[in-house]
Amino acid sequence: MKKYIVKRIFYMIFVFLIVSVLMYLLYNLIPSDPARAELEGIKTQLRPEEYEQRYRNLRDRMGLDDPILLRYARWMGFAPEKESGELNGMLQGYFGYSNFFKKDVSDVLPVRMKNTVLINIFVTFLALAITIPLGIVCAVRKNGKFDNSIQFLTIIGYSIPIYIISLVFIWLFAVTLRWFPVSGMETPGANYEGMRAFLDRVYYLTLPVLILTFASLGGMTRYVRTAMIDALGMDYIRTARAKGLREKVVIYSHAWRNALLPVITVIIGWFITIFSGSVIVETTFTLNGMGQVYYLALRNSDYELALATQMFYCAVSLIGQLIMDLSYGLVDPRVRVDK
Amino acid sequence: MKKKLLSILLAAAMTLSLVACGGQEATETPAETPAEEAPAEEAPAEESAEAPAESRPNRLIYGSTTEISGDLGNEWWTNNATDMQIRKLIDDYHVVRFDQDGAMIVNSAVVDGDIQTTENEDGSKTFTVKIKEDLKYNTGDPITAADFVAYALVMFSPATLEAGGGVVADYVVGSAEYQSGESYLISGLRLLDDYTYAITIVPEYLPYFFEQYYANLMPLYLPMYAPNATLVVKDDGEGVYLDGGELNAEDINASRFIYEGRVSAGPYQLVNIDTGTLQAELTINPNYAGNFEGQKPSIETLIIVKAESATAVDSLKTGAIDILDTLTDGNLEINPALDLVDAGGYSYVDFERNGYGKIQFACDFGPTQFPAVRQAVALLLDRNEFANQFCAGYGSVVDGPYGLCMWMYKDSQEFFADNMDSYSYDPAKAIELLEADGWVLNEDGTEYSGTGTRYKEVTAEEAGTYALNVTLADGRILMPLHIMWSSSEDNPVSELLVVMLANGQQTADAGMVIEQTVMSFTDLLNYMYRDASVDAKYGVPTYGMFNLATGFTQMYNMAYEMSMDEAYWGTYNNNFIADEKLAELAWDMVYGVEAGDEATYLDMWQQFMDRWNELLPDVPLYSNIYYTVHADWLEGYDQSSYWEFRDAVLYASIANAE
Repeated sequence: MKKYIVKRIFYMIFVFLIVSVLMYLLYNLIPSDPARAELEGIKTQLRPEEYEQRYRNLRDRMGLDDPILLRYARWMGFAPEKESGELNGMLQGYFGYSNFFKKDVSDVLPVRMKNTVLINIFVTFLALAITIPLGIVCAVRKNGKFDNSIQFLTIIGYSIPIYIISLVFIWLFAVTLRWFPVSGMETPGANYEGMRAFLDRVYYLTLPVLILTFASLGGMTRYVRTAMIDALGMDYIRTARAKGLREKVVIYSHAWRNALLPVITVIIGWFITIFSGSVIVETTFTLNGMGQVYYLALRNSDYELALATQMFYCAVSLIGQLIMDLSYGLVDPRVRVDK
Repeated sequence: MKKKLLSILLAAAMTLSLVACGGQEATETPAETPAEEAPAEEAPAEESAEAPAESRPNRLIYGSTTEISGDLGNEWWTNNATDMQIRKLIDDYHVVRFDQDGAMIVNSAVVDGDIQTTENEDGSKTFTVKIKEDLKYNTGDPITAADFVAYALVMFSPATLEAGGGVVADYVVGSAEYQSGESYLISGLRLLDDYTYAITIVPEYLPYFFEQYYANLMPLYLPMYAPNATLVVKDDGEGVYLDGGELNAEDINASRFIYEGRVSAGPYQLVNIDTGTLQAELTINPNYAGNFEGQKPSIETLIIVKAESATAVDSLKTGAIDILDTLTDGNLEINPALDLVDAGGYSYVDFERNGYGKIQFACDFGPTQFPAVRQAVALLLDRNEFANQFCAGYGSVVDGPYGLCMWMYKDSQEFFADNMDSYSYDPAKAIELLEADGWVLNEDGTEYSGTGTRYKEVTAEEAGTYALNVTLADGRILMPLHIMWSSSEDNPVSELLVVMLANGQQTADAGMVIEQTVMSFTDLLNYMYRDASVDAKYGVPTYGMFNLATGFTQMYNMAYEMSMDEAYWGTYNNNFIADEKLAELAWDMVYGVEAGDEATYLDMWQQFMDRWNELLPDVPLYSNIYYTVHADWLEGYDQSSYWEFRDAVLYASIANAE
């Protein structure tokens, strides 16, 4: 097992490096000039000499005139920095500089990560609490009226873009019923503290959490349903019933435990996604999370911020894949993961 | 068992997340929470629209569609619109500023008397500024002339340059040497006494119509920029310098992000910026002496929050925000906002944009190098209809590079009526112009048949490297009336131009082809600037027509945009227009007219407009009418192109404020 994990970690490092090269090259292929983009808004206020000086300063500071491989090496921490002459890249824990926020990326992301994790924890918990029982009931009542209705609704929920769901929910719950605020993360200027601040935050996050939960119901419900239908068709279920076990015991103890095997990997996958924000919902609700910051970074050509976010997702997925593979072995003794 | 374990893990994760994420995230100490503050369920400004007679908090929530990044660095750096808004609300006391009509004035709240001007024998000019003695920072610390001088000493310092703040230090005598590190002092800047400083401008930068702007400094609180040194401004008779330590780039950069206890001198002071929830809170600065009219704010608290464009009007409707500034999109923003106004509880103010959307031509190659072609394009487009459709009725058309709010325009109505061509939609006239200009041939050199693309016989110089030229067997070079158009993606202006111009029957009938290439805006700029430093392909003249927008500041200056000096081509003169008369007028208008000589300036401005209108390097398409919509309990709020929120809010008040 240990050998397997070590081997996988080496693979992960290799994949991470390949992805980093590809991502860095891709971002640098975009025909942009971040130095000029930064100055464009105030160009008319500057004299040509001033503009030129600022432009040259920025290009120099951003290292835009250096060869791309050197820039990559600096960014990763394989080559020394231009100014300090020291290694200071991703490998040393320096994730770059955000041109939009004028701060190191490591100062920009934590607060957003915290917001995203808070939202996604609620969403994941709620979605699992709804979809697992729903999927089980649908499987047990397969092709019945209830099952067909849920299948119909989940197809609709699955098919409607989340942007549309967001606007409909905002119109209904925020504008018409006025149950929740349209956007934001806390009551402006209220400066609540302690539990009041927490409740205020919950009040503001309820609608986006509901939307994200609603949007994620379809897929998981159908997945659980399918896994349960497969499990309920197995011989051991017939045996259990023949033994005279109560139907509840047959469903929850025998069928569900076996159906859990494929589902658990999806559940673990879900938990991994708590770090990745929803670009659309976070932007629509002005929730200051990972999705919004990624969108903002792309929109403002803040490529170091976008790259750092992307590489973070890459690392999370690689670790997630390892955990998922290991979890197979943990929950299903038939699967061996030591090779 | 495994299920139980999973459940426990889920619960634990949830609890952990609540503990980790549930707290207040303000980066600074929040202001006192009003005891009577409504809980979240009692939606904050719900009462604003529905119960105007009740007393309400003396507080205004301003919705901004631009993110708060928290960078309060001054104009030495570039910061986004919302950060700039915050900075301008907390930093005032500029020596020179602009009034409601965009006119440059001496800030009488700061300057005692007028700025004294002395012309020196060597051609330089010295501006002596005596500041008032009762000015204070928000902390109550007194402001003296040394604080104004400190601004220049930090601004021009090598450390600021190292910190990425680019300010050219060549217009003040001795400042270039100071910035380069050759000198420890600025010889052209003098601290004459506690409340007087003098600044001397090099002759090369004179005369200048806006010359008083050279004297424009503002107070800078030195300890914020050098927290680890006790810097003092000194003048031993040779010029000013900093004594007691050295500035460094790290501290200067850090000053941009000081929120707690930020020392400032504007109508408001910063309480906090919460980068976690994208909110900023400001309260009245009790030590503010007023603006140039002595006006002080009465709204106690300003909250600036991020509002998403798609839901901003809904936020206004539900009372989550109280004011939406400068709405631009007619259908998505202005109409829904005006519906709110019609329903009651809201008011609005509208004002003209100081700029316009345009077609821009490259005037040095291809068909668009010929003024007749540019004029023909203008005549082939019904600009009034275009503006009406694009702005959904909230826009107008201009005939030159000006804004409708400019005093020069307002004083030139008669001149414009007599001299400016409005290029009203007239396809027949467009054809006449083209034929008179020689666009009378077919591709094979025969006389134009009346259908298809027109051609013109051109000289080798005119032909240049234009890729679509045809060389006949007899050596004649023919240029097709085929304009390569670069337009940015997801751009509704481009879509309307395709329908109303490029694919219009009138364009085909005129024998003109406008070929659209859609690209990113960055790519468009690269082609427009011919920026070969990004890629060699951009350095080759490829597109003759672009569509984008432009804006103007109060100091109207087109000298570099129209310059014939190739050093300015691309970045500034991106029309690549080389017309001696136009360049001279643009230059002399600001660099040949003495400050205060408004009559000469206006005369040259009119001549410039006339010449520009004739050469038509751009076709102005639309100039928006902007709307700012707010709750109707906000009284006395009046905004214009030159009078932004930060100015207007000083005169506004909240009805029945607590």
